[in-house]
Amino acid sequence: MNWDKKKIKSVLPHREPFLFIDEVIETIGTEKVVAVKNVKSDEKYFKGHFPGNPVMPGVLLIEAMAQASIILYSIAKPEIAKLHPDYYLGKTKAEFLSPVYPGDKLIIEANCIKIIDEAGIVDTSARVNDRIVAKANLIFSVQKKNE
Amino acid sequence: MTNNNLLEEEIRQLVSNVTEVPFEKLTLDADFFKDLNIDSLKAIEIVAAFEKKYRIIIPEQDIPKIRNLRKIIEYKTSR
Repeated sequence: MNWDKKKIKSVLPHREPFLFIDEVIETIGTEKVVAVKNVKSDEKYFKGHFPGNPVMPGVLLIEAMAQASIILYSIAKPEIAKLHPDYYLGKTKAEFLSPVYPGDKLIIEANCIKIIDEAGIVDTSARVNDRIVAKANLIFSVQKKNE
Repeated sequence: MTNNNLLEEEIRQLVSNVTEVPFEKLTLDADFFKDLNIDSLKAIEIVAAFEKKYRIIIPEQDIPKIRNLRKIIEYKTSR
């Protein structure tokens, strides 16, 4: 079943303009999430990155992939996720393979390598149509509030 | 070198590569957290690297017990 914005916001603490997942279009158990980010021409960061030559910043591609990873975590660890813990990105190994422009539809995949209560390792990728634009291995920690 | 020694060296190298703790500091009984300042993110990396190399899944409840090199080696040899 697809996830709409309401369901996504029930899991992710992020909000516009820093919410980079519009829809979840596929989930495979606790192994995989496929999500969509529609890159709109009026995204604020395009004003400065770069004037007259709008390109989505690589760090925001990582952010989108990290947000998809949190959704994957929430499926693997629903009891913890519903307590709205803090998520901290700890380590990133990323490759940027192709630029992302206004109007592109980003398809983001997050594949579980290892998820435990306090942390996760997820392999992610982002593509536009059939072209992989970025890949990243993300390691994050999860801390319950007031821990 | 015996098979056990080879395995010990192999796992020591794996942990050293992941944690960037020098090979010689990784003694069998050095506690990852107290003695070597390995944090929880590095710990999950050790687990993931071990699982990938030996195709052994370490259940989540066993992870807190693996606090030093000796425990990882025992985990491998007991399977």
